[in-house]
This record gives sequence, C-alpha cells and structure tokens, in this order.
Amino acid sequence: MQKLGEFKLPNFFNYPPYFTLQPVRETREKQIQLWKELIIDFCRTQKIFVIGLEEDFPLFSNPAIERSLSYEAREAFLSALVSDGRAEWMDKGHRKCLVLWHRIQDWADLIVKFVKEYGLEDSVMTVEEIRSGTESRGTELHGIDRTVLMRALKLLEHKGKLAIFKGTSADDEGVKFSL
Amino acid sequence: MGNIFVKKPKITEVDKAILSLKTQRRKLAQYQQQLANIELTSKQKAVFESLKSGNNAIKAIQSEINLEDVQKLMDDTAEAKAYQDEINAILGEKLPAEDEEEVLAEFENLESQLQDLPEVPSAAPSVENVEEELDLPDVPTKPPVVADAVNEDAQDTSAGITERKKGFSFLLLVSSNTSTVYEVY
Repeated sequence: MQKLGEFKLPNFFNYPPYFTLQPVRETREKQIQLWKELIIDFCRTQKIFVIGLEEDFPLFSNPAIERSLSYEAREAFLSALVSDGRAEWMDKGHRKCLVLWHRIQDWADLIVKFVKEYGLEDSVMTVEEIRSGTESRGTELHGIDRTVLMRALKLLEHKGKLAIFKGTSADDEGVKFSL
Repeated sequence: MGNIFVKKPKITEVDKAILSLKTQRRKLAQYQQQLANIELTSKQKAVFESLKSGNNAIKAIQSEINLEDVQKLMDDTAEAKAYQDEINAILGEKLPAEDEEEVLAEFENLESQLQDLPEVPSAAPSVENVEEELDLPDVPTKPPVVADAVNEDAQDTSAGITERKKGFSFLLLVSSNTSTVYEVY
C-alpha cells in the first residue's frame, strides 16, 4: 500500500482511470464518493483546512502512475463536499475551499467538551488561546483554522453558551464561557 | 425567534482586564520568539562571515603558490628519482662473462700464492711453569697491642686467627659476646 508521509493511500489512488472524470453517471458517482472520503480523511489526519485548486496539493497528483487531476475534476470533487456540508467555497471564483472535516456543529460540541474537561466554565479565554494555547495542546482544537473556530464560537454564542467580546485594543478578542 | 430570550454571559471590567493581560502575555511570548530568531540569525551571520574570511585567507595563500612552480618541482623530483634508480640499476648489474673470467683467474692466482706460505703449527707451544714470587712484607714478630677496653674481651677469646691476604695481616679476635675487633698491622 502506497503512503504519503504517514498517511496510507487507498488502492484506487494507483489506478489511472480514477484521475479522469468518468463520463458514465454511476461510475462517476462512485468515483466522486471515493475521492470525497479520501480528501476528508487526508485533511483530518494532516490538519488541513484550506485547499487551493490552483496550488499544489499532494492528493491531486500521483507521480508513480504519472497522473494528475484536471481543474474540472478537482472542482467536481470539492463541489460534492460543499453539497454535503463538509466544505465551503471561500471565494466566488471557486479557487479556494474551506474543508470542514468536522461540521461547524461538531466543532462547537468539541469546544463545549474541551471547556468542561478543563474546568473553564465562567472563565475568559482569548481566541488564540483556544487554537494554540497550552490547554488545547493534544486536542483536536489545537491548530484549528481561525475562520472555522470563529464560526463555531458564533454558533455557541447564538445558543447563549458564551459571549465574544473585544478588549481594550482592537486586536484583543476574547470569549467568556457560561455553561 | 426563540433566540431573543437566550441569556448571554455578562462581560465585566474584570473580564476585559483579564483579556488584556492574556493578550499582552501572548504578544510578549511572540516578541521573545522573535528575539530568539534574531539572535540565531545573527549567530548564523557571524559563522558565515568567519567561513568567508577563512576562505579568503586560503585563496590568498593559494594565490602565492604558482601551479607551474609546483609542477616543475614535481618534475625535478621525478627526474632525480629516475636518475637515482638508473645508478642503482647500474651498480646492481651482474658482471659480464669476460670480466667474471678475469676476476676468477685473479682469485686462483691469489690462492696459489697463499700455498707458498709456511704451515701453521698444530700443537700448542710448551711453556715452562714459572712460579711468580710474591714480594710480601715480613710477618711481624711482636704481639699486637690491644686497647684496654678490648683487652678484657680478649682474655675470653676462644680463637685467634691470623690471615695473610694480598700483603696484609689481620688479627681476628673473637670474643665471647660475639664482638669482633680487627686490627691492621
């Protein structure tokens, strides 16, 4: 089995037809499903949140079989993830895609779990502290994309579980939990 | 519609102060990291400069050495070695047949000359055994004078031995308490 760093690649990755968009509908759907799972698994393992369609991405080519995905194929696979609510386009031109290997609701649940585990109820934390502080080290929240984190925090704020507020200077952004 | 009644946690001045302190702490950590990076970069620059100056020094020394001179020196050394090897080869050569015959003839001539010499006696020469007379001093006739302290011990003497050796006479007085007196006369 081929590996990409520590990540084990599936068998289809070495099969050239999977790098070309299949014209037959049933085959195409099966192909898209396999690619969706591969992209989500890879992004979760490598903690990748943003995929640029015009940038080099390890999954978009396989030098061993001298194959790479066309722009059309890349857009098709990521659009399928967007349809499932597992990704979002970051621009109108569909050049950058935000991958949600956890849905926003799942990220929000992880934040609540983290706050309870570390006894941070009724305490103040900075946004940066949540994503790169000592407390979050070793958890899934460590290294979370700021956009994803803010989306999850706003969802929790909407539910009344926390309040997002500004400090004395403009770059201060904090969260007060109330669970 | 239901979200209107959601109660958000109240933000106090203390909360804002805590947030400011935490933000300052984070900024301080970032500055420390930046300083560490600057320090590392300056060290790397110093190492680079040292290597550069060392390289320049090597180049300066090398520029003083002419490659042609080195090549000439090596050629001269090789020539000298070849010359020495030639000498060694000549000296180590085997004599030609004619020269060898001459040498052998001369050797035979020398051998024939040696045959005319008188014979070496086989028996050892007989030498008369002549006793050497040793010119020794006269033996004294008077008895030796012994000190008073020794005199008492001398009365108990169990043996008095006179020994003649290399022209000297010794009187050995052995006392009962094993003290020995040597007197030379």
